[in-house]
Order: sequence, then structure tokens, then C-alpha cells
Amino acid sequence: MPATILVAEDQVDIRDLLVLNLRGAGYEVSAVGDGLAALRQQAAAPCDLLILDLMMPGKDGLEVCKALRAKGNAVPILMLTAKSTELDRVLGLELGADDYLTKPFSLAELLARVKALLRRADLLRAAQSAANSPASSPGQRLCNGELEILPVKRQVRRRGEILEFTALEFDLLLHFAAHPGHVFSRAQLLDAVWGYSHDGYEHTVTTHINRLRAKVENDPMHPEVILTVRGAGYKMREAPP
Amino acid sequence: MTVRLKLALTIVATGLITSLLVIATVLYAFQRFERETTFQRAHAFLARVATNVELLELHERQPSELNAWMRSVMLYEPDSQLYLLDAQGTVLSSTGQALLPPGFKVALAPVQAAAQDPRGPGAMPYVMGDDPERMALDTVVAARPLRRAVIRSNEPVSGYLYLVCRKQGLPGSQWDVLRNSFAFPALLLILGIVALMTGLAAAIIASVTRPLQRLTAAVAGISLTGLERGAGPGFDALPTAPGAGPTQHRRDEFGQLGSAFEMMLTTVRKQWQALQRLDHFRREGVSNLSHDLRSPLTATVACLETLEARWALPTQPSRGDDDRHLVEVALRNTRNAARLVQALGDLAKLDEPEFKLRTEIVDLSELLDDIGARFVQRAAQQGITLSVQHGTAQTSAESPAQAPFTAIDVELLERAVANLIDNALKFCAAGARIELFATQVADRVELRVRDTGPGIPAPDQARLFDRFYQTRTTPAPATGEGGKGLGLAIVKRIIELHAGTVALSSEPGRGTEVVISLPAARLSAQGIATLARTVSDSGHAAATKG
Repeated sequence: MPATILVAEDQVDIRDLLVLNLRGAGYEVSAVGDGLAALRQQAAAPCDLLILDLMMPGKDGLEVCKALRAKGNAVPILMLTAKSTELDRVLGLELGADDYLTKPFSLAELLARVKALLRRADLLRAAQSAANSPASSPGQRLCNGELEILPVKRQVRRRGEILEFTALEFDLLLHFAAHPGHVFSRAQLLDAVWGYSHDGYEHTVTTHINRLRAKVENDPMHPEVILTVRGAGYKMREAPP
Repeated sequence: MTVRLKLALTIVATGLITSLLVIATVLYAFQRFERETTFQRAHAFLARVATNVELLELHERQPSELNAWMRSVMLYEPDSQLYLLDAQGTVLSSTGQALLPPGFKVALAPVQAAAQDPRGPGAMPYVMGDDPERMALDTVVAARPLRRAVIRSNEPVSGYLYLVCRKQGLPGSQWDVLRNSFAFPALLLILGIVALMTGLAAAIIASVTRPLQRLTAAVAGISLTGLERGAGPGFDALPTAPGAGPTQHRRDEFGQLGSAFEMMLTTVRKQWQALQRLDHFRREGVSNLSHDLRSPLTATVACLETLEARWALPTQPSRGDDDRHLVEVALRNTRNAARLVQALGDLAKLDEPEFKLRTEIVDLSELLDDIGARFVQRAAQQGITLSVQHGTAQTSAESPAQAPFTAIDVELLERAVANLIDNALKFCAAGARIELFATQVADRVELRVRDTGPGIPAPDQARLFDRFYQTRTTPAPATGEGGKGLGLAIVKRIIELHAGTVALSSEPGRGTEVVISLPAARLSAQGIATLARTVSDSGHAAATKG
């Protein structure tokens, strides 16, 4: 069954193009022209993903986002904005949007983001149901030195102590841990973990590797777990004997 | 009414009132002094006269002899009159010229009041009494009670010796009296001093308020002619004495005000000039921008119109490859326009005063490796060698010194470096080399992007980092941010935000080198871990939720 997407965008040309392309990509798409309609629609027939324009009559994208999250609705939200100011971006994320794209954007990028968001939502659901199901085996776990990763529980322990990870940081660490000794370039990591590879977003990988190191390394300035391979990329050390 | 006038009037009025008061005081003191001395002399005189002779008895026996004696006593003071009175004040004998009616009574009240003064007899400094010849109570008088039997002290007063000290021969008015007296020179002196002081105060006020007037004139001049005209030659905000430098001011408050005003003017002028320069750039930029946007849009519109015309004619056979090419051209041009608009928006964002970097501590050489990796393929396609060097800029094979850690906004710094590499790739021909360096120099970290491309002519070098400036001699291909005069401006702005500097040196025909210098991180490992955690907690990345 194809995923359902709700598009809320007041500019007819852009809305029609979004609907056309998303339908072409095999999604089931409905579209509205303002924020209030989006909230009504979502209440009546919940969809799997929301694409919200920031500037809309009635309720704007931020308000819709806030209203949905206040009701405990965790549907993934992709925000579209013509304003590229930092304020709007941060606000969007703090208010619970999952990702954003600034206009003008390419359709290919939009489709990649949609795909990545849906996949992540699927993964999360799967992990949650697995964790909740009593029948699930606690067995599978990855160990690397002091690190112990429990993929099903989405938990990381270092010397027995539980570390706090964001979802993306965990995914990145898991990807490294699943392929110890394997060298990944930033573009490969973006593709494998984020789900889209688009030129200009590699810096996100750098930032996340930086954070991983701050959490798992003894001395982040001299990493021992997540290593740099000059000119090639990053790898996790192979588990010490 | 000006402050100056007000001050001057106040001082003149004060001077006048002071001198009037001084005159009045002198007059009063003089009069009182005169009366007191007169009274004392008269009193002493009467005491001497009255003790010598039994006057009342003499009058009863020989009135004419007494009168003659009294006249002889008064020879020394011809203006004063001596009277012999009985207890009720009836004149018994007198030295006066005027003929008094028989039984004329002198008003004794003032004399008796003085004698019964609660402070004791003689406490009053002088007594003003009745002058029988003038019928007025405005003359200094002295009286001596006379008793018949001197032995018995409680014997009632049986008569008075009464002295009227009248001044005659002197002019009547007090002013004339004063003018002829010793006090007059003193008074003149006092008045002279008051006048001198008033004049002095007026002069001080004038000198004090003159700088204010100059300042007012200067401000008015600026208001009238404008800041720019005012900045021209021949304009001096606070004209000082000839020969004195324009910045020399007196050291008082007005001098300070003057210097402060001049400083303010200089600053405002500088800012005004900066604004004008900026405005000029913006206008030039908007014109360039409009041109840069118009070209891709023209191309796009042309492509789409061609396609529309073709599809409107059903008879025309569709030319698949040709159509496809048109769509590609339209797409490429639209993307260029979109990129330009994006860059413009980003630059505006970076310019916002409240824009904040999201810094984290990063090993720059590692980042440089990663950025280089992004461009290796493109460089290879163009036949250009792209390499990342570690160690010092001169000899790459040295022992890996301290890793160049620094606090940066990864997204922005990567963008800046990518812009530089993109530029180099755009201008370099096949066979050229592009080298990237990251080195720590003392407490700074240097990033170098060096190419062996065609170089940049000297006149262009200085303005390369200006917004919208592009060399019209060698226009860049319209890709990326660089070709539209915004790429280097964005680089400059990003480095400025990092408290760093960016410098470009180029030699036509040899190549170009851009050096970015950033402050090195001086944090402990612990500090870095903390910093990294703070960054990750601030909800920075997209897609971390859900």
C-alpha cells in the first residue's frame, strides 16, 4: 500500500507540480491551500507525511506544526520555506518539523527527502514494535571495545553506562558498527544513513561525526573509535581482540 | 533672549542693587555716627555745665546774668541753643535768636523716655527731640535734669538744661552732606569696584559663551549645507585662533565639548562615506544582478516559447532530440538563476546582525580532506590535479605538527572553502594544479587554496571580495555562486563572522593563492567534548527528531 502524503501550499502552480511529481513517484497525494484545511484534513484522514509551506493564509506552516505536535501527532513534517533566515529554520525544527527545504528547490531533492523521511518513520515504527513485543529476542547486539550497541532497544552503553543519542547519531553509529574497519566517504554516509545524497549537505556528516566522537571517545581530539582515513573518509576501528 | 544677554543683565542688575544698598548703608551709618558723636559731646558738655553752677537759683536771682552766662558758654557752638526749662518744660531762659512766646513749652517726652529707658539711662545712643525754634522733632537734643538740693537724691526734678544741637551753615540735604564728607571717596571706590566687577563678569560670560556660539554656527552650517558639503575644504567645525591646529582646543568643558563634537563629526562622516560607498555598491550590484538574472531568464523564456510554438503546430513533426536539448538549456539557465537568488538570500542572512554561528571544534585538515574529496572527480574531469597537503605550506612532508583544531561553523566554512575551490576550478585550464593546505601558525590556523591558473590582473585583485564585483575582462562561466560576484563576497563574510581574515595574492600567468586565517581553538579535550554536547543538544540538525 503506497504511503499517503498531504501537501499544504497556497501557490497553485507549485502545489500542482508537487502533487504531479509525488503521484508520479507512486505516493497517494492530497493537497490543500491553507493551514486550517491541512489541520482538518489531517484530523479526518491521517496521512503518513505532511509537506507544509511556511507562508500560508489562515494558519501558517509553523502554527500547523505546533498545533499537530501539541496534539501528540508525530507525523513526519517536511517544511517548505521561501525565507532562508536562520530564525525560521530553527523555529521550524524546534516546533517539531522534521526537515526543511528552502525555495527554490529541485524536485529531485524534494523526492529524496520525502523518501528518507518515510523510511526513517518506518524504521522507528519497526524498532518500537520490536521493542514492545515480548517475543522479540534481546539477543542481537554489537560490541566494540567499551561500546555495546543494542539495535533493537536503540541503546548504546559504554562501560555499562547508557549514553544519550539522538536518532540520527544512533543510526550513524550503528552503520559504522555494522561495518567495522570499512571506510566510508561523507557522501556514502549521507546516502546510507540520511537516505539522500545531495551535494552541499556533507557538512552535516562532519558535524555528526564530531558529536559521536564527543560521546564515545576518551579524547575527541585523538579519536580511537571513529577514525579518519586521510583522503578517503571515516571508519570504525575493528573490535580489539 | 539669549543666555548671554540674560547672564549679562543679571550681573548688571546685581551690581546696581549692590551699589544702591552700599550707598544706603553708608548714608545711614554716616548719619548715625554723626548723631551719636554729637549727642555724646552734648551730653558731656551739659554734665560739665550743670555741676558748676546752681542754675535755677541764679535764674531766679539774676535772669539776665544767667542768660549772658549761657550765651558765653555757647559761643563755641553758635548753631546749638541752650535752654533752661522748668520741670514742665516751660522755657525760662534761652540762647536762641527767635523770640519765643512767654510760657512756651518744650515737648519733653523724648527726653523723659530716654531717661526711663528700661535698659538704663544713657542706653539710647542718641535722642531726637524738640527744637523750639523749628517746631520739629528731628534734631539731636541733650537734657540734664536739675535739682535744687543736690544732697537729697529723691528730690523731684525742678528743671532741665536743654541743648539743641542744630547744624547750621551746612547744606540741608544728606547727599550734599555726604558729598562733602570723608565717606565720599570710599563710596566712589566701592561703586568703582562694583562697576569693574560687572564689566569683568560680562567679559567672562562673553568669552565663555563664544565657543557655544561657534558650535551653534558649525551645527547650523552642517544642517544647512549637509554633511558632505560640510566635509569639504574650508570648513572648520570650530574655528580656532589662526595658527592653531584644528584639533587644538581649550582645556575647559567647552573645549572638551568642541573636541567631542569634532570627533562625532569625524565618525559620522566616516560612516556616511561608508554608507555612500555601500549604497553605490548596492546600486551597482542591483544593476549587475538584474543583468545576471535577465540572461538566464531570457534564455529560459526563449527555449520554452520555441517549444510551445512547435507543439502548437500539429503538422510540425516533433524533433525529439532537439526538444530535449531545449529543455536542458532552459533547465540549466533556470537553475543558475535559482542559485543566484539563493546566494543573494544567504548573503542577506549572513549580514543580519543577529546571525549566530553554530560553532564546533573541528580538525581543519580533516575537514579539508573531506572538502577536497568532493571536488576530486570534477577536477579529474577537467584534467586538473587537486591535492590536499598536510603540514606546513612550504614543505608538505614535514612531521605532522599539531592538528589544526579550531572552532568553526562547519556548514559555513565548508561553503567558503568550496567556493574558493569552485572558483579555482572554473578559471584553471587542464594541466593546472590546485593545492589545499591547513596549518597551524602560532595561535592561528591557516587555510590555503593555491592554484597554478591564469592569475588575476592586479587592478581586479583589490575589489574581488566586493559584492557583485566581477571582472568584466574575464567573465566566469555562469555556474555556482562564484560567477556572479557573490561567491567571494560570501567567503569574506563567512570568514569575518569567524573573526578571521582572508587575503588573496595573485600573479598573472603564475597562479593565485587565497589564505584564510582563523583563530585556533584553545580548549582542552574536556572543553571540546562539552562544547560538542552542547551543540548536539541545541536541536541543530534536521531529521534528528521523529
